[in-house]
Amino acid sequence: MEETRQVQGTWDLSTFKFRIEGMGINSMLKEMKEAKLIGNRCHQCGTVYLPANFYCRKCHIAIHEPAEISDHGEVMSYTIGYADVRGNPLDEPRVSLMVKLDGSDTWIMGAGEGMKPEDVHIGMRVKIKWAEQRVGNLQDMESFIPE
Amino acid sequence: MRNVAIVGIGYTPVFVSKRRDVCIPEMISEAVENAFRNSGLTPADIDAVVFGNMQTFEGVNLPHLWSADYIASLGKPVMRIATGGTTGMSAFHAGYYHIASGLHDVVMVVTYEKQSEGDSQVGLLGIITPEIMAMLAAGIDVTGQKGMGAIGGGSAGGISYQATSYLHHSGAGIEHIDAIAAMERRNAAKNPYAHLKDPEATAEKIAQTPLISWPIRFGHVCPTSDGATVCILASEEKAAKLADKAAWVWAVANCASDATTGNLIEGIITDPAEQMPAQIAAKQAYERAGIQDPRREIDYVEIYNGFAHQTLMFLERIGMCEVGEAHKLLEKGELEMNGSLPVNASGGVVSTNAIGTSALNRVTECALQIMGQAGEHQVEKEVHKALAHGWGGLMQYVTITILADKPKKL
Repeated sequence: MEETRQVQGTWDLSTFKFRIEGMGINSMLKEMKEAKLIGNRCHQCGTVYLPANFYCRKCHIAIHEPAEISDHGEVMSYTIGYADVRGNPLDEPRVSLMVKLDGSDTWIMGAGEGMKPEDVHIGMRVKIKWAEQRVGNLQDMESFIPE
Repeated sequence: MRNVAIVGIGYTPVFVSKRRDVCIPEMISEAVENAFRNSGLTPADIDAVVFGNMQTFEGVNLPHLWSADYIASLGKPVMRIATGGTTGMSAFHAGYYHIASGLHDVVMVVTYEKQSEGDSQVGLLGIITPEIMAMLAAGIDVTGQKGMGAIGGGSAGGISYQATSYLHHSGAGIEHIDAIAAMERRNAAKNPYAHLKDPEATAEKIAQTPLISWPIRFGHVCPTSDGATVCILASEEKAAKLADKAAWVWAVANCASDATTGNLIEGIITDPAEQMPAQIAAKQAYERAGIQDPRREIDYVEIYNGFAHQTLMFLERIGMCEVGEAHKLLEKGELEMNGSLPVNASGGVVSTNAIGTSALNRVTECALQIMGQAGEHQVEKEVHKALAHGWGGLMQYVTITILADKPKKL
């Protein structure tokens, strides 16, 4: 008897609509095409969100003030991947970073490039490596590289 | 508020990867039957049922109603609770509210998971946050190779950031995660209801298992289990009539935070190991139970640890020791079954994870230790007060229950 059966399928994400797309993500993608990052700031508590949010999650009020965010930041945590999403071993260990970009209070995850796994540490300074051909999607940011 | 006691506990005879011989309600009925047998109660004693399991994991939408006759609920109120990994303890808390409020006198809490009948990873996709969905639509590379939002590392990827941060801030090393995992697999070998058991487990042996995503190895990760747990609760008046032995609820507390890293309460969303909800819920629970010094007053702890580092991390977050102290207690043997702060004598979630049951098992295991009924995994010291911790939601929800060997003075 077959132990586990896999069914292939596709999940059309365009059928989902979110307010955050209009407020935060689409405006962020537009600026990313110019190698810039725009989030927003809560006028009450000062928390800066990237991508921008349509309400402050702490104060629960509508927020509109844009905030420019640096493409440099600090590693808050990291992991070194030894297996892919299906559990198969990788040829080379893969560095993944959780980074707080300067001027924001939220984190962004992304691959680390140009660094040896043993050199990665919390508090390490990194910057975004932008794609040469930017099209306005999240892969316009290629990776994080040492500052 | 009225006092509430645990007067009956029942597990399925085994917790294993695949129960091929029974369907979901049949498996659940085994735990129900054991709870009745162990407590001497009958279905006629039960006023209401609370039911808990993970949403979407088996692809069954109304398992509590499918199981209605198997859980002896005909003609009675049934409420289903689902809060993620914490489900079992949330269901227990709901049972507590039923009785403490004065509405019901005896309530049966039924939890299960039969993970072999579904795909937990697909199930988890169903509880993904709108932000992540929107970012997926905007081009996240799910293979984790490039781009903003690339997480990498498969299912253990997300938790690895938490483990890295815990190690950094505590001064512990990966060898401590190996050691706590080994301790719990050894403890599990003494628990007939545990899934992954290894009486010979050592830190060195765990260290030989492959790294999945630094610092998480295969040996640090929970299994997916099939099993069910039932817990019967009663008011003080009923408990006096129905039970020879009981464990008493002194406090329940819960706390949520944001769905991504679980510390938006503080405003800086950048440390997945901060776990502010655990700190807040524990503080509230101590206040409600009248506990001034948890390290001195609490004799036994069950931590929800899907991943082995969480035993050490959460001991610090709930104030059972200082930040940076848990791995030192481990080194000194204090967390072992014969130590001064025994933890997870059951083997913890890292050894057994039928998710709907996992947070309830933390409570029932504390109750068994208090009642002196844990059998081969009964800890050496006398247990008067015990703390059960649950962790779940989207990594940001924490439940706490404090039990004691006598009713609380109201």
